[in-house]
Amino acid sequence: MIAESSKSQESRFSKIVLDNPLKSILIPIFLTFILGSGLRFIIVDDNMMAMIPTKMESKMTWDAVQNEFGSTESIFIAFGKEGKNIFNKEALSQLWDVTRALEKIKEIEKVNSISNIPKILSNDGFLEIEDLQKNRELSEHTTEDIANYVNANSTIKNRMVSKHEDYFNIIIQPSPNVSHDILRHRVVQVGDSLLSMNYDIHYGGTAYITGSVPTMIKKDISTLIFIGLGLMCGILVLNIRNVFSVFLIFSIIIQSLIVMAGIMGWITYYTGSKYFYFTIINSSMPIILLTIANSDGVHFVTRFFKEMRSGKDTRQAISASIDKLLMPIFLTSITTISAFLALYFAPINQLLGYGVCLSIGILYAFILSVTFLPAAISFKKWNPESISISRESILEKTIRNIGVVIISNPVKILKTGLIIILFGFSGLMFVKVDVNIANFFKKGTEFRKSIDFIDEQMAGTMDFRVRVEGDVKDPGVLYEIEQLQNALKENPSINATYSIADAVKQMHFTLMDNNPEFNTIPKNGNKISNLLAMYSMSGDSDDLASIVDYNYNTSLITALSSVMSTDQIISFVDHIQSHVNNLEIIDRVSVTGMGVVIRDLIYLVIESSIISLVASLFGICFITSLFFKSMAWGMLSIIPLLSAIIINFGLMGFSGIYLSHVTALLSSVIIGVGVDFSIHYIYHFKANRFKDKSEKNSTETFNEVGYPIVLDSASNMSFGALIFSNFIPVQFVGGLMVFAMLATSVGTLTLLASLTEILKKKQIL
Amino acid sequence: MRAFVPLFCSITISFSQSGLDIAQKLDNKERPQSVFSRISMVLTNSKNKSRENILLSKSNNIGKNQIIWVLEPKADRGISFLRKEYEDKDNEIRMWLPAFNKIRRINSNRMNDSFMGSDLSYEDLNSRVLSDNIYDRLNDELFNGIDCYVLNVTSKPELKSAYSKHILWVSKKNLTILKEQSFGKNDELKKVKIYSYKMVKSYELASKILVQDIQKNHKTEIYIDYISINTDVDSKLFRESSLKRIPRL
Repeated sequence: MIAESSKSQESRFSKIVLDNPLKSILIPIFLTFILGSGLRFIIVDDNMMAMIPTKMESKMTWDAVQNEFGSTESIFIAFGKEGKNIFNKEALSQLWDVTRALEKIKEIEKVNSISNIPKILSNDGFLEIEDLQKNRELSEHTTEDIANYVNANSTIKNRMVSKHEDYFNIIIQPSPNVSHDILRHRVVQVGDSLLSMNYDIHYGGTAYITGSVPTMIKKDISTLIFIGLGLMCGILVLNIRNVFSVFLIFSIIIQSLIVMAGIMGWITYYTGSKYFYFTIINSSMPIILLTIANSDGVHFVTRFFKEMRSGKDTRQAISASIDKLLMPIFLTSITTISAFLALYFAPINQLLGYGVCLSIGILYAFILSVTFLPAAISFKKWNPESISISRESILEKTIRNIGVVIISNPVKILKTGLIIILFGFSGLMFVKVDVNIANFFKKGTEFRKSIDFIDEQMAGTMDFRVRVEGDVKDPGVLYEIEQLQNALKENPSINATYSIADAVKQMHFTLMDNNPEFNTIPKNGNKISNLLAMYSMSGDSDDLASIVDYNYNTSLITALSSVMSTDQIISFVDHIQSHVNNLEIIDRVSVTGMGVVIRDLIYLVIESSIISLVASLFGICFITSLFFKSMAWGMLSIIPLLSAIIINFGLMGFSGIYLSHVTALLSSVIIGVGVDFSIHYIYHFKANRFKDKSEKNSTETFNEVGYPIVLDSASNMSFGALIFSNFIPVQFVGGLMVFAMLATSVGTLTLLASLTEILKKKQIL
Repeated sequence: MRAFVPLFCSITISFSQSGLDIAQKLDNKERPQSVFSRISMVLTNSKNKSRENILLSKSNNIGKNQIIWVLEPKADRGISFLRKEYEDKDNEIRMWLPAFNKIRRINSNRMNDSFMGSDLSYEDLNSRVLSDNIYDRLNDELFNGIDCYVLNVTSKPELKSAYSKHILWVSKKNLTILKEQSFGKNDELKKVKIYSYKMVKSYELASKILVQDIQKNHKTEIYIDYISINTDVDSKLFRESSLKRIPRL
């Protein structure tokens, strides 16, 4: 009879799930299988440049430069022995071998080293352009000749020999559209196999970094995520005290992740859209979905135990849990989805795919939480006398006691909260943006040592490219190119520059019988034209292809520099721009290079984060206002989020943690998790207030949602394991993740709880 | 210029069996002693960007002495080259740079170097000596509907060459080279040349040559806009002083 009467109180939805438990389990599993099978169509794209909008100015210049002059991203191999002069027969023979071996790699467009560059000389009335190193085996005399020629040509020496002449540098230009990951692998294979026996080797260059970092980060994060998941599991088991329930929460998390990834694959398969490729920016998706899916599962399971504890049978407890959580979980899901779909407005196109796939994952976690999870729970025979059901955990009891303190002292709590927010707010002005890739690595690590070596001893890891539009045969244009190069050299980080102006000066000097007076740009355009024609008679037509276009209308100034911070890049580009404004003859100048493009990319990521943040806050406020039929509730729902974001970014400002594309992901996590907490609180507050108009309802609300919120936060804090990463920004994310969880949960249970209490007392709510 | 050698091939055809026989017949074809021509040379790179040179050329001794003046582009007008082929010593190239009022000798020993940024190397410009190569006849083929002998021309080991071999498609009817493939030292296809001809007096001479560098994805199109043969081209012309004066057509 009791069972019958409880059945009659069930909502229609609970009834369907509980009357068809097998279907409610198998259908989602089948769906997971079907949707997840799209995984095989996922395309992983390591190319950071792919995510940059094509209309961004530095990207447009970048594309134009790549198109006109070939790839400007390079890998450097520096080899030698510290303190030992590198100009010796053996080293030049090794250089010959490595250069030839690299030239055979199909992923490589061009290799430049002392062993394959041309030398221009004027000799006994002859003008000769020939190989600087003609053979593998050299005599002492020819070795000395090579050393003398290189020492007399600073443009060559700066790029190809270390400052102390103890290392040679090989510059490798990738073929178009080659994966830097593969290229890096091939280059290191050749370099290590031929050089590691006799020399110290250092690798560097932007293509080396972009080819190494994504894979290294992925490996590092994958390991740490597994550790995080283990910790999460431990925290849940310790508090829920039931392995089966934790297993179910994890099965929701895993299935949601599979579906999210599968959908990404299916959409790529059917649309071919690059927006759905898995790029480095998408690597934050699993963590975000994990925290959200975990939240849904934790709320349901803890509610089920609470209902069981109040003496209900399993079916009644499940049914009550569904009925009480269906709406808040739905609401938290659609608000979070709206937040991620707001990425549609973000300037980075890849974020559209990011938002869509994450939203589908969130929706699926919701579906599983209200179908699969209750149905699976219903299959188990639960013992009401078991510890997990009959006794509250220590955490649960503690939170209940804290709740009493908060609800009875709302004004004090609110004031304290506001002071903390103000403190966080003042830290916002100290937040700095930096994307210095070298700073990803701790000093002293092998990777960092190599980058530092290339920066300190060779021409440097970073490059700036200045694209100049103007007739190169016009001396005025060449003078202005030379001026620009001088302006570039004023920056102490710039180690070498080269352009067509250098090549013309060298041709002029050589033609005029090596008279130093003629190491200049000729004053007459016809002379420049004659020099270029003369070069075409002896040199390889490709020799000039990396500095001037085919019709001599566009040229490229290259500046190699040590790694600069984002601030330094900004002021450097401004410095160049100020010189550009003074140019009179050159038609157009634009600056690009990996540093500039990455700087712009990061700004886009941050801009995207801000857009998504603002759009999310509006969206969440709007949806909750609509649902709770009150603007006040809408405003209240975003307070914990807003305060958590302010405190988090304020902390970053005070502690000197730079804002980068990696740390910017914190705002998404805060939104994803924070909105869950506030909506659960508000929903239960309203429901309890409707049920019981006495003052008890706030305490009751706190008791109902406080524990799952704190448990959810505590388990998500497992991602604090990221603090053990080898990458500094990922370490920061680990630390900030813990802080974000604290900020969102404490924000909800203090600010929101005290505010609702105060407003309730003033009869505003 | 070697590339222009087919210009001088005569129509004479005779049936032969071996590759060497065909090569000998090609070599023995009657050619004009001297040629005065105006040439357009269009260079196109892998990015499909082009630049055009207009040249005047005078040669005698079946192309072994040649002088070339640049007419266009205007910035290069007046630049000129004197090329002399010798059997007993290194070939000679001199270049006149009018803006500097200087003549410079160019080292033409690097066979693979490009001539004026084109896809023709110095080796391509030189006449091919019959005894320097081994000629094997391959199966006959049709090229553009024309029945051709196909010859495999392999450089002898002692020959200093950037190529390992060439494959020629020779018209059976006219004994003119219609197509040539040149292979690098690793037997990779480096260049393809395709020839078109027109009759000038009794000679069948090239009117258009397309040279494609397969490795660099670069091409050179050579059009013979004007040609006059066996006119009076004095041997005295082929000296440095002539470089400074552009002749009239």
